[in-house]
Amino acid sequence: MRVARRTALGVLSAVPLLCAVPAYVVAQGTPQAGGTLVMVVQPEPPTLASYQSTSGPIGQVATKVYEGLLEYDFELKPQPGLARSWSVSADGKTITFMLQEGVKFHDGKPFTSEDVKFTILDVLKKTHPRGLNTFRAVETIDTPNPLTAVFRLSEPAPYMLMALSGYESPMLPKHVFGTGDIAKHPSADRPVGTGPFRFVEWQKGQFMRFDRNPDYWKKGRPYLERIVARFIADGSTRAAALETQEAHIAGFSAVLPVDVRRLEKMPHIAITTRGYEMQSPIVELDFNTKAKPFDDAKVRQAVAYAVDRKFVIDNVWFGFGRPATGPINSNFKATGLYTSDVTNYNVPNGVDVANKLLDDAGYARGAGGVRFEIVHDVTPYGEEWRRFGEYVQQQLAKIGIKATLRYEDVPTWLRRVYTNYDYQLTNNWIQTLADPVIGVHRLYHSKLIRAGTVFVNGTRWSTPETDSLMDRASVETDAKKRATLYHEFQKRVVQESPIVFVHELDFVTVHSKRLQGFLVSPLGIYANFDQAWLQK
Amino acid sequence: MLIAKLRFAARRVLLAAPTLLVIVVLNFGLLQLAPGDAADVLAGEAGAATPEYMVQLRQKFGLDQPVYVRLAKYVGNIASFDLGFSFRHNQPVAQLILARLGPTLLLMVSVLLLAVGAGVLLGALAARHLNRWQDNVISLVAVLTYATPVFWAGLMLIVVFSVKLGWFPTSGMEAVAAFHTGWTRIADIAHHLVLPAVTLTLFYLALYTRLMRASIIEQSTMDYVTTARAKGLNERQVLLWHLLRNACLPVLTMAGVQAGALLGGAVVVETVFAWPGLGLLAYDSLFARDLNLLLGIFFVSACLVVAVNLAVDMLYALLDPRIELR
Repeated sequence: MRVARRTALGVLSAVPLLCAVPAYVVAQGTPQAGGTLVMVVQPEPPTLASYQSTSGPIGQVATKVYEGLLEYDFELKPQPGLARSWSVSADGKTITFMLQEGVKFHDGKPFTSEDVKFTILDVLKKTHPRGLNTFRAVETIDTPNPLTAVFRLSEPAPYMLMALSGYESPMLPKHVFGTGDIAKHPSADRPVGTGPFRFVEWQKGQFMRFDRNPDYWKKGRPYLERIVARFIADGSTRAAALETQEAHIAGFSAVLPVDVRRLEKMPHIAITTRGYEMQSPIVELDFNTKAKPFDDAKVRQAVAYAVDRKFVIDNVWFGFGRPATGPINSNFKATGLYTSDVTNYNVPNGVDVANKLLDDAGYARGAGGVRFEIVHDVTPYGEEWRRFGEYVQQQLAKIGIKATLRYEDVPTWLRRVYTNYDYQLTNNWIQTLADPVIGVHRLYHSKLIRAGTVFVNGTRWSTPETDSLMDRASVETDAKKRATLYHEFQKRVVQESPIVFVHELDFVTVHSKRLQGFLVSPLGIYANFDQAWLQK
Repeated sequence: MLIAKLRFAARRVLLAAPTLLVIVVLNFGLLQLAPGDAADVLAGEAGAATPEYMVQLRQKFGLDQPVYVRLAKYVGNIASFDLGFSFRHNQPVAQLILARLGPTLLLMVSVLLLAVGAGVLLGALAARHLNRWQDNVISLVAVLTYATPVFWAGLMLIVVFSVKLGWFPTSGMEAVAAFHTGWTRIADIAHHLVLPAVTLTLFYLALYTRLMRASIIEQSTMDYVTTARAKGLNERQVLLWHLLRNACLPVLTMAGVQAGALLGGAVVVETVFAWPGLGLLAYDSLFARDLNLLLGIFFVSACLVVAVNLAVDMLYALLDPRIELR
């Protein structure tokens, strides 16, 4: 019983959280009670079943109702949530959670270890898109008393502690979801949780309403009387709604970068790129490494050299991003997992290096200076990807690769890249999430070359060495040793360049300056907003 | 007379049934051609999924069955007025559509009334002042509004009337933070309706104005107009009592045809103004490959178009008693 021993009393549980928050996000002045917060959520979520989908919009609303066992600070260290303390055994195979006292679900029934057991084993491990993987090692959960849950694992799973937020692993009431088919449960869209806000109604196409939970287990919280989530399909209208103060907050770049630069100059509006440290999206170019010409590492490296990261960030994404170096986001610097000591493709003479590499690879320039022609697919997630595609097209022309752009809708593109592998080069973005086991392994492990499964290893690149590094890192409980494994992993992946790591995308939250105390953890808008308040 | 009308209506409804069946089968077939399925999209939105999860999803959605089995099931369901289940929304399709039908009809009917009403008025005005400045101004405005992209017009109205002047809300169907009830709610919804309805009306208005103008010009050479003038009526009386009624017929036909297009054109307005209508739902479900829902919306739209055209035919008889319903 050692490693991560941490205790805090129920009411004080948020104190360590507040300490970790940089000064500017701490609420200015004393919180004022009351008021209705209007948040813009884009797009409208299909359901509220956050135990079945990790879809962003679902997370933004469902987290106000459902809570998780843990919260996290900006250093990505676990903090007490519904669990007031926890301990990991020396062999890493037993994790004991002590639950907060006096926590009640919105229907008045108490939250107990039975609910934890049910949620993890019967719901998340069976039907959650990532839970199947995250909780693979959990064999059983003992419940010696209502406030203690003991996870018994088949092998150590250090990453699991990073996946217990209310967004990633929401705790459900067994007495509600325990009966009936969980896959299409009637309570899916009438969620009952322990969170600071209770679900009231959902007018599809318009809004969702959540009212203050007067019996919330943190005394005096939440401050807001009500949260209304609105759905506005048009980007310009979303910006207008914030401008006229009809809405107070819009996250996950729901306000388009071009509008952000306009809105941030207004006296009543502020923006922030914090609160996405557990998403860590990376913008990339994916190669089909099983087909010519990108089966050759030299050709892939040439493309990596040809892209000017700074240019892309400044001109396509309006400055919202940082150059990426490899498969692990620099947000993991704090946990030691990240290293920048890898092959650097972001060099001033990149185009020359690229040309030389292509010459060496045997792709000589032919008529019109063209070495070969390819089709460059553009991921269908917005205008900026087209601009990015056009930029890459230009750069490729400089190194003798003639690229034609192809733009399709979401299902068609997913099918092409992850089922049929009928592509050569596509731009893409991947959330690398709170731990490499959860967000990164899927893109490189040979076990995840699975046709028909989206956002896994679509490049079909893998090596026995990198597989082994990942396998060892998933069960390594010593943080230092684990970091060493990942450093080696990053070096090898970047060297082989199955993916061009372009930049770490910054999501933007645009909010009214009246809104305070909403940004308290790396979960950002996925936090439960129990500390958020509106200035009168 | 009434019985004849009812018999006419009943026969038309019976005739519509096979048409609707063909529409259903065609739509079903067409949608099968779209690559990718609902499981791809759902997993794509989730940002990550395990292979086991994908298999689970496809089984749940019935996507593991052959196409002909799914078609047979679907047609069987439709025949018993069951529109099926949307797995994406975890709700019966009928329930989803019903919730959106109200806002759509509200917008559609407002726009039709406004566009036809104003169009008839402006068209008549232009025709009466043929080739004078009134006619020129009206024609110019009509061409301008018709040539303006709907989304742009909508955004400009938002910029001017919501952001700058603050007269109208930017979007939505009601003030969500307020939760009005009773008459205040109705007033609130009407307030929210103004900008989307005006935006869409601007577009359709031009059509009816031009049509009405042409129709009056054509009708004014008819013998009955000469007769009316001969019996001593002034121009105004001729227009109001004789011309208008006859000239309205083509406008009405157009309105009937346009009712279907309005559902489609509404997508843009619904998107810009976040109006919770069917168009937006259809648009979203296409990109989500929520085929059950999409087919359901197509079916309901087809029914609506059939109903509107039936109503238009009945109106013909009212406007022009010489037309017999049979």
